[in-house]
Amino acid sequence: MNESSRIEGLLRRIRREIRRRRAEYYGLRGAFWGAVAGAVLLLAKHAVGSTAAWAAAALVILGAVAGIAYGAARRVARGDAARVADRAFGLDDRVATTLEWAGRADRTRLVDSLVADTVARVEALELKRAVGRVVPREGRLLAVPVLACLVLAITPPIPMPSGRLPDFLPSGEEEREEHASSSMLEETSRPTAKDPLKRPSFEEHDFAQRAGGSGATTTGDLSAIFKDTSLASQRPDFNSFMKKGDERLRMLEQVDRLPDLQSDFTSSQYKMVYRKSKALTGGLRPDQISPQKLRELLEEMERLGRKGGGNWSGDAMEGMEALEGGQPDRALDAMQKALDKMRAMDEAQRSGKGLRGGRENERSGRGRDRARGDGMGPEDQDFGEGEGLMPGRGRSGSPKGEATQRLRANPYDVGVEGESRRGRKDGYDTNLTGRGGSMASRLQYLGVIGQYRKAMEDAITREQVPRDFHDQIRSYFQALDER
Amino acid sequence: MNRDARVEAFVAAFEALRAEVEKVIVGHHEVITHVLIGMFAGGHVLLEGVPGLGKTLLIKTLSEGLELSFSRIQFTPDLMPADIIGTNIIVEDADGRKHFQFQHGPIFAHILLADEINRATPKTQSALLEGMQEGAVTVGGASRPLPAPFFVLATQNPIEMEGTYPLPEAQLDRFLFKLRVRYPALDELNAIIDRTTQSRPATVSRVLSGPAVLSFRELIREVPIASHVRDFASAIVMATHPQWEQAPEVARRFVRYGASPRAAQALVLGAKVRALAEGRYNVSIEDIKALAAPALRHRVILNFEGEAEGVDTDTLVARVLDNTEAATAQAREPFLR
Repeated sequence: MNESSRIEGLLRRIRREIRRRRAEYYGLRGAFWGAVAGAVLLLAKHAVGSTAAWAAAALVILGAVAGIAYGAARRVARGDAARVADRAFGLDDRVATTLEWAGRADRTRLVDSLVADTVARVEALELKRAVGRVVPREGRLLAVPVLACLVLAITPPIPMPSGRLPDFLPSGEEEREEHASSSMLEETSRPTAKDPLKRPSFEEHDFAQRAGGSGATTTGDLSAIFKDTSLASQRPDFNSFMKKGDERLRMLEQVDRLPDLQSDFTSSQYKMVYRKSKALTGGLRPDQISPQKLRELLEEMERLGRKGGGNWSGDAMEGMEALEGGQPDRALDAMQKALDKMRAMDEAQRSGKGLRGGRENERSGRGRDRARGDGMGPEDQDFGEGEGLMPGRGRSGSPKGEATQRLRANPYDVGVEGESRRGRKDGYDTNLTGRGGSMASRLQYLGVIGQYRKAMEDAITREQVPRDFHDQIRSYFQALDER
Repeated sequence: MNRDARVEAFVAAFEALRAEVEKVIVGHHEVITHVLIGMFAGGHVLLEGVPGLGKTLLIKTLSEGLELSFSRIQFTPDLMPADIIGTNIIVEDADGRKHFQFQHGPIFAHILLADEINRATPKTQSALLEGMQEGAVTVGGASRPLPAPFFVLATQNPIEMEGTYPLPEAQLDRFLFKLRVRYPALDELNAIIDRTTQSRPATVSRVLSGPAVLSFRELIREVPIASHVRDFASAIVMATHPQWEQAPEVARRFVRYGASPRAAQALVLGAKVRALAEGRYNVSIEDIKALAAPALRHRVILNFEGEAEGVDTDTLVARVLDNTEAATAQAREPFLR
């Protein structure tokens, strides 16, 4: 049919155009991946040889040709071509509807009109490009692998790794050097291990392990590269690592043993005095030392001893007396004794004894306070009227006073029983019973009653107590006095 | 071009009727077109808008342009179904014998204006159900056919307004289209003022008869539709169903119930009228897209999240449309787009 042939002609043209665009699209994609493969091939030019460049070029062309062939060979359905034509030429689905309805048996008069209308419109079409060019992402990036191919083609081949591990086995000479250095390490470690400041509990043990126990390594073992650390001779032992960690954690719990890292020990009293003594006595005989300077040093040591609570004041005093007696050698001996004591105290502080918050320090501090006081503990103090162990009062160092000692019995061991008392005024005595009842009272009656009376008078004065109860309260306290 | 005479006549009638309505109604060109499409497709149209936008005037003007009987029912809360359908009353004949006689209700007209339909109770609203679907009403066990063509044009205020009863889904589904009457633009408002304050109001001529409408309805059903266009309409309707495996995310998230098959019928029928009105002999994708919102907006029921988020059904339909278009097989290959 002439009418349908015109529509068919339009469709053929559209299908051809779609195939061409597909060929371009897939050709670019094929060229890209061919170029990528070519670049990989050129990387291996060292192994492939001089034909690598030609092979890479062939890969690019092959990829492009394969893509073009694939795109051109893909089938384009008539319906798809009709829809593309409808959209491209603004035919409002006329071509697609015509193609579908033209051959149907139930076509109506309107379909005839539709076919005629579509043919007329197709004939009147101005032929233009119906299918737009679509550049794939690979097409936009095609220059990258192509340039890489070109660069790799003109540059010398890249040597490939042989695939064999380098020989780490040491030569005999190196081994000897290693052995010598390891023995040196052992020698230098020995005095360090004997250093009294070092705690043998973990540091020496640790160093011994680092030194490799026997210090010998197995020659020819692959782990010889770690010879200097001697770790190679030991198998990794997680349990021992954990054990060490536990030891360190326990160490952390012992606050008294922790070094005080907040203090600056480089400027300690001992260091200062020691430097002065060295400057004074450095290389000189006792008779060559300036007595004046030695006296000044001894005086300073004596002052420091008094001020800091050190026990070398006596030695310093002894040294000064010897110096006045014309015995500089004795004075120097006394100074040395005092220095030794200073150093001992300094070391004690460095090992955590002087750390603030430590238990020993707290205990010793309390003892010092007691010693510095009038020789009486809080229990021995005699309280006058209006002062004692009431909270916030008395001579206790604590703002709330010392805590009342707890009864060494559970509450069921203590009971209260009452007993009426006859006298000038009737009263009622309450007594503790049980084990608790037989224990001594912590508070002294005469020391406390005065405070309570004073508190009572204050309360009445400030009108905290209703007026009707004033007489009753006063008579109660009067009755207590009469006991 | 060789154009079918019937199509020529339809295009002329369509344009003439639109011109008559536009003599009175300013703007709302799309609403008028969709009302006419609904009428020629044989469906009923629901117009929604705030009071004073000319909904009732539009329908009255349309009825004046058609040589058809017209009745108007003002829906109120105390309106009863019998007030719409009619009822049997006892009459006495010349012999003195009494018998029941059916008193026709206002529904027995070609064009029925159901004004402010959502002011009546659902019971009364439902009185229109049978007439709208079957073209007949049943009273006292007797089915009485309604005159053909029967065309219901209903107006309603937005359901957010007080004193209204939202139409039940079954009732809404009977409407081919739901049209939203928007507020006029400034120049349109000026034109309204000019027209309505003149001493001589515009007169509307009758340009189309009832039989002509019926013959055009038959012609419209002959319009061919390509399978890919029909598939597109079906895909749009299916895409409103959250249960459908290819439903877009927006439908899965916000829709409780999707559109019914009546929606697909409305889409295709309306698209056929639109194509013919434009002088085309086939339905195009553009016809379907143009009528998607009027055909679907009242048939998509939002879920709680959709209601809470204030999702607009028009926006939802537009997103569904975009998703469906992008998901077609042709759209997937760049050369076939």
